[in-house]
Amino acid sequence: MRRGLIAAAVAVFASAAVVTAAVARPTQPAAAEQVAECTNVSLGDVGPLTGPAAFLGNEQLSWLKFAVSKYNKENGTKFKVAQGDTQLKAPVARTVARKFVADKSIMAIIGPSESQAVIAGAGLFEKAALAAVSESATRVDLTNGQFKTFFRIIPHDGIQVPTVVRFVAEKLKAKHVVVIDSQDDYSKAIAGPMTRGFRARGIDVDRESVAATDTDFSSIVANVANDVSVVVFATQVASGANTLSQQLREQGKKAVVFGTDGAYSPAEYKPKLGYVSAFAPDLHFDPKARAIIREYNAFSKNRTFGTFGPPAYMAGWVAMTAITKACADGKATRAEVTKFVRQTNIPSIIGDNIRFTAKGDVRGATFAVFKVTNGKYSVAS
Amino acid sequence: MAEQPRIGVDEWVAQAEERRARTVAARLGDLLDRVPPALRLLAIALPLALYPVFVDSEYLMQVGIDTLIFVLLALGLNVAVGWVGLLDLGFVAFFGLGAYLYTALASEYAGRHWDAQFAIPLIAVVVGVTGFVLGLTSKRLLGDYLAIVTLFFLQIYLVILINSSFTRGPNGISSVLPLEFFGKQVTSLDGYFYVSLVVFVVVVAVLYLINQSRTGRAWRALREDELAAELMTMPVDRLKLMAFAFGAGVAGVAGAIFAPIQGAVFPANFDIVLLITVYAMVVLGGAGSLLGVTVGAVLINASLEALRSPEDASWLFYGVLVVTLLVMLRPWWRGPAVIAATIAFGVVAHEAAGQVRASLVGGTSFGEARIDHLVDTWVLLPENVVTPDGLPTGALGRLAYIGFIAAVLGLTLVRSSLWRTVGLVPVLYLAACVWENLLVAQPAVARFVLIGAMLVALMAFRPQGLFGKQRVEIV
Amino acid sequence: MDWDKLVQLLVNGLTLGSVYALVALGFSMVYGILKLLNLAHGDVLMVGAFIGWGILGWLGGAQDPSVAVWLLIGLMVLGAMVGCGFLGVAIERFAYRPLRRAPRIAPLISALGVSFFLQNSVLLLFGANFRSYETFDLVDVEVGIHWGPLNVWAIRIMVVVAAVAMMLGLWLLVTRTRLGKAMRATAFDREAAAMMGIDVDRVIVKTFFIGSALAGAAGVLVGLVFGQINHFMGFNYGLKGFTAAVVGGIGSIPGAMFGGLFIGLAEALSVGYIEDFTRGRLGSAFKDLVVFLILVLFMLLRPQGIFGRPEVKKV
Repeated sequence: MRRGLIAAAVAVFASAAVVTAAVARPTQPAAAEQVAECTNVSLGDVGPLTGPAAFLGNEQLSWLKFAVSKYNKENGTKFKVAQGDTQLKAPVARTVARKFVADKSIMAIIGPSESQAVIAGAGLFEKAALAAVSESATRVDLTNGQFKTFFRIIPHDGIQVPTVVRFVAEKLKAKHVVVIDSQDDYSKAIAGPMTRGFRARGIDVDRESVAATDTDFSSIVANVANDVSVVVFATQVASGANTLSQQLREQGKKAVVFGTDGAYSPAEYKPKLGYVSAFAPDLHFDPKARAIIREYNAFSKNRTFGTFGPPAYMAGWVAMTAITKACADGKATRAEVTKFVRQTNIPSIIGDNIRFTAKGDVRGATFAVFKVTNGKYSVAS
Repeated sequence: MAEQPRIGVDEWVAQAEERRARTVAARLGDLLDRVPPALRLLAIALPLALYPVFVDSEYLMQVGIDTLIFVLLALGLNVAVGWVGLLDLGFVAFFGLGAYLYTALASEYAGRHWDAQFAIPLIAVVVGVTGFVLGLTSKRLLGDYLAIVTLFFLQIYLVILINSSFTRGPNGISSVLPLEFFGKQVTSLDGYFYVSLVVFVVVVAVLYLINQSRTGRAWRALREDELAAELMTMPVDRLKLMAFAFGAGVAGVAGAIFAPIQGAVFPANFDIVLLITVYAMVVLGGAGSLLGVTVGAVLINASLEALRSPEDASWLFYGVLVVTLLVMLRPWWRGPAVIAATIAFGVVAHEAAGQVRASLVGGTSFGEARIDHLVDTWVLLPENVVTPDGLPTGALGRLAYIGFIAAVLGLTLVRSSLWRTVGLVPVLYLAACVWENLLVAQPAVARFVLIGAMLVALMAFRPQGLFGKQRVEIV
Repeated sequence: MDWDKLVQLLVNGLTLGSVYALVALGFSMVYGILKLLNLAHGDVLMVGAFIGWGILGWLGGAQDPSVAVWLLIGLMVLGAMVGCGFLGVAIERFAYRPLRRAPRIAPLISALGVSFFLQNSVLLLFGANFRSYETFDLVDVEVGIHWGPLNVWAIRIMVVVAAVAMMLGLWLLVTRTRLGKAMRATAFDREAAAMMGIDVDRVIVKTFFIGSALAGAAGVLVGLVFGQINHFMGFNYGLKGFTAAVVGGIGSIPGAMFGGLFIGLAEALSVGYIEDFTRGRLGSAFKDLVVFLILVLFMLLRPQGIFGRPEVKKV
């Protein structure tokens, strides 16, 4: 309130802080070998909880919490989740990474969700022998061996792009397509190679671009020529793909929308006719998955979800299984946990058993293409 | 009651100033002012220099470096906003420009590695000139239009960054090389901390000297009354441009050391959220005061870090609440009285609600700090107010939130000081309820809500922030 | 010359432009009276969109509405207008009125704070998922005009008609009623108006109410025609709305309408032709650049806009 008072108060606090820090020297940060944590273990969730991709990070966090609660109930464990909001910014991701590395109770990282956060943080995780299991980072070069403790549950762009290109070229027999990206690192990493793939097959490609926050595509649609048969939309916002397909119909265009895996969402992407790729059999309609969906709905009070949640569930399960194994003898280190993650072989709700390659990719991952008719999903390939 | 009419100062203003000057706190402030500025700077820089010695955790070192970068940004923004009163909403674009320019001079992508002692000054100049050019648009415009033009400039800058191939778009450029001074590379966190500290000291010294010079005085005159300044033959346009240029230059330097610390640049770093955060720092600390914005930056960045997790967040929230109450309520006994009354009210309400319907107090809060467990004993915790993600399940949570805002706003309308103090009790209780039920469940969002609310409250009640000088506007 | 494409772009531009015009009107009115740039105006639009969505859900949702479609839409618009009107009044009362005598920069910073607060509050209360109006279930995409190259969805027609109706209503209010006269007087010279017995505070409150109500309506219209809403959609509309107000002449109602249409058409056409124009070097992502350049051009060459009068400051 009064300038001098405040200045004095701040000076007192500052000196107190320095003195306290000086007197109570914190112990050395957790090196890879030590950290025997088996009683108060947390999983560090690194993803965008605010910002333009918040819908993604929040869905993942929700499914992760569900996984933790279910695992705890079934195994009598007491795992917890620590939230690390990256705001979709690499420097923030780095700070979060350092925070989690310094936090002794964190034995595994779930994420980072976005590829640029992996670049920013995975090096720090590697130095601490901390396993990072990502549920949605799809850039191909993340598993080229540069991050030895990085794993991912979902296949990368190098698998999705050829699958989509092949389907559009051979099954849909397109001769002229439009490829739209949404100006983020996920979509640009897909749109570029996809365009090249199409052109290599002699298919005509027009390139368009929208911001991730755009909700109106009418002018882009006006640009779509009449002989275009497929509009490939690399997006993570499923409702945007829906709007795009409706606006195409509105303007009488014949083209159908092909959404990349981010568009997969039976609740939000319901065109009259369209396609979407996904890296898992349809969780919503797989009879085996119905039970778990029921459980999730009960847990989350019927929160809608798309492709982002279930992989986070699996990532959490992988981590918890590995930590439980490492803690079988009462104590564990982060390096031990990472070793067990590498040896993972557990059943998955999104496909076959989860096993990792030497470089951290999930084994046997494929992309499936789904055809959507009047909102109903069916496997197309 | 003025002892002597002062020449050139309006009588009412002089009386107001003298009333204020007689208080204890103001005298303390005067004492502080008497300390030579170099010593004052040393008093701040020395403890900071000892920070790496006492702190081992890499996380805290990173936070320290981040804070210093924020301080630099706040100092740069202070030039245009605090000293000249121009609203520059495109400020973070200069920060980004500095970062990308450094990348162009020292990265594998660009294929060269300039030494930092050449790169940084060059970047400062280039970004300063850019600021100058942007400032040219302000010549014809009122301050308000300038704000929008600068905001648009930021948007365009982002669009270009994201969509040009030479900036590698949203993927950014991740091969930025470390700072190299006279052949020696800076590779450790401690090293970068010291570099940031040195840059901070240099920037503060330069800004202080400019502020004391003729230019600084001209800026202040310009801020107080642009028309009068122009009539006094001050080159108003040139002064505005210089302010823009200096602010931009400082931001550019901050960007130039930010890029090598991160090792990469991405467009997403330089967005509106960052802009508003820096504004909050400047406003909280006191626009126009070098010490103020420094303190503001430290406080806000520390708070943002503390508000990351539900464990730490509650300590900060309740701590700030209690301190504000103790400081703002006069006489001295009202603060503790209100706090005690709130707790008593809470206990009663908790009991009563529990009797009426058990589900009203049966829920659990996300907050995990010890203080949360304490508070939870007397706060209403209805079951199922939020989903496990922290989203309100239905109307109750949302209505409670809106009701709380309305209650706070309504309280500001109460005129009688006594009734206002009385009304504080239920409002504080409601605040604790909303915090325990809604805000602590989504700490990442809650901190931004609090920053927005803080900005509005500060401008309404204490626009000079903590250390700024209260400006008297003669209408 | 691809006439189909041009016609379609014009239709899009008209739709966008109507929305921008509504936003610009609110900006213009507030600026005319208070000389204040309401940076939170775009977020008022966003809140309106969410109120409309809430009403939609409350009345059964798009698949199974419990009232007739047109009545439903009318209620959504009305609800958003009322809600946002009161929100605008509250913002004025608590964020701007205490700062009437403060330096010009103060209410702008306060507006930034309000904007940030609104966005994040909505994020807190409703979550990050984009919410959908599912208008395509409400009114099928085939309903509308299909005549030659013209393919106009009924909802688009509704947006333009509603916007024009509201603008007409506003124009009548400002030119034919006593309140309108009071508003014009206050905008012209606040002190003189007070001396003439006009309750300036009440006029300001009513101005904010009307301006914010228009923004709220625009929010619902945006939700209807583009289908999705999220907590940061307000920012973009605020920016474009402001540009429209400045281009048309800030403080002028016909100016805001014209400016809105101008900017909407400019944006639509630039998406359509920017690539041809720059021979492939710039793509549709740069549409905002075009709007920005228009703004800067007007600022530098004709700061009073198309319909405004050059401002002469009396010293």
